[in-house]
Amino acid sequence: MQSQHLTHLEISAFIDGELPASDAQTLEQHVATCHECALRVVSAMRLKAASTRVSQNFAVAPPEALSRITAQLRQQTAKETANVTETAKKPARVIHFPLWTWSALAATLLVGVSFLGWQSMHPPSTLSAELLDQHLAVLSSGSAPEVISSDRHTVKPWFQGKLPFSFNLPEVFPVGTVLKGGNLTFVHGQPAALLLFTVGKHQASVFLTQRPLKPHKLTSSGTESGFTIQYADAEELHITAVSDVNPSNLAQLVSALANAQKPR
Amino acid sequence: MLAPNRSALFEQLALPLLPSLYSHSFWLCRNHAEAEDIVQETVSKALRAFDSFQTDTNFKAWIFRILRNTFLTSRTAIATARTVFLEDHLDQVEVTDTSPTPEEILLRLDNEAALSEALERLHPQLREVLLLCEVEGLKYKEIAMVLDVPIGTVMSRISRARRTLQAQLGGSL
Repeated sequence: MQSQHLTHLEISAFIDGELPASDAQTLEQHVATCHECALRVVSAMRLKAASTRVSQNFAVAPPEALSRITAQLRQQTAKETANVTETAKKPARVIHFPLWTWSALAATLLVGVSFLGWQSMHPPSTLSAELLDQHLAVLSSGSAPEVISSDRHTVKPWFQGKLPFSFNLPEVFPVGTVLKGGNLTFVHGQPAALLLFTVGKHQASVFLTQRPLKPHKLTSSGTESGFTIQYADAEELHITAVSDVNPSNLAQLVSALANAQKPR
Repeated sequence: MLAPNRSALFEQLALPLLPSLYSHSFWLCRNHAEAEDIVQETVSKALRAFDSFQTDTNFKAWIFRILRNTFLTSRTAIATARTVFLEDHLDQVEVTDTSPTPEEILLRLDNEAALSEALERLHPQLREVLLLCEVEGLKYKEIAMVLDVPIGTVMSRISRARRTLQAQLGGSL
């Protein structure tokens, strides 16, 4: 530092008092013997003083604006203080209920629990209606499956990356059952693989999901508007089939799909 | 929710800084109404977050950081960011060295209008760091905290800001 002239960084840091003491001392020694650097340091100090003065004068807060901000600040801090004091002073309220209120509460709970139980035994028909709607939509001529193939090696890979789960398809389907293709769909708020089959002359829609669609554990089948809905659990997956085919034929298809999910 | 003594402490620390906060806010947004809004919002945010403030650190740097972040989400900052503002492209700002002597510079410093104009023309990023250093008197470490940049960046920006001012005044340090 002593033999060379000072850098801009050094001068800047020096006039801001940001140089370590040893560096500052070295710089001062250099300035004492170098007229050019001494002048640059003085010039930098004068510039700093002048720019500080000009900057301060440029943006002076109007008194009325400061008053408003001050008022807002005081109001907010007072509110905070009041909230704390109120919370601290407020005694815990002990409410004494007469005996009959406890009885009423118990009765309400009983009715509520009973209702929930009843609801699980008699689920709303929205789910089966939704399944049926999806099945009927598939039957309409205007909605071809997104993947059209009877080859399980084509249909299954098509779902890869589109669903948060994977599934297997059986090597052989029951007699008279043909895989037509598949769709990606949402049933009851969850993603599902929809597999489309023909069973004889009937159509069958099979939904594979991660969470069960069946209303409760004991349910394995149901009917909706003349269509059969069958449920099966298969390892990590849940199978729901909808068709107007003979229930036993549909059961064979569901069973074949369930067996295919078993680890080999 | 702050304890009463914390609220009082906040008021005690924040009230003297209101003129500075306003002034800095105005430098950033160049609009009195918006400057006031930004300071009010800053004060509200700071009060709500005061529990997270560590009393052994610099309150001024802490609240200026809140002010800056509040400004960055303001109308002006968002509009300006569409062109180019606070963050970088600084390398493209050339410091022209027209080399009059330091004596000449000293004479020109008496011309406040010229200096004011030079400050106005300064790149906002350079002006901001210079204001925090010179007007607000923050240390480099504190400025680094306000701007969320390394201390070396603060140092080089301040130096660059001064060189740019000198160049705009027709000289160089």
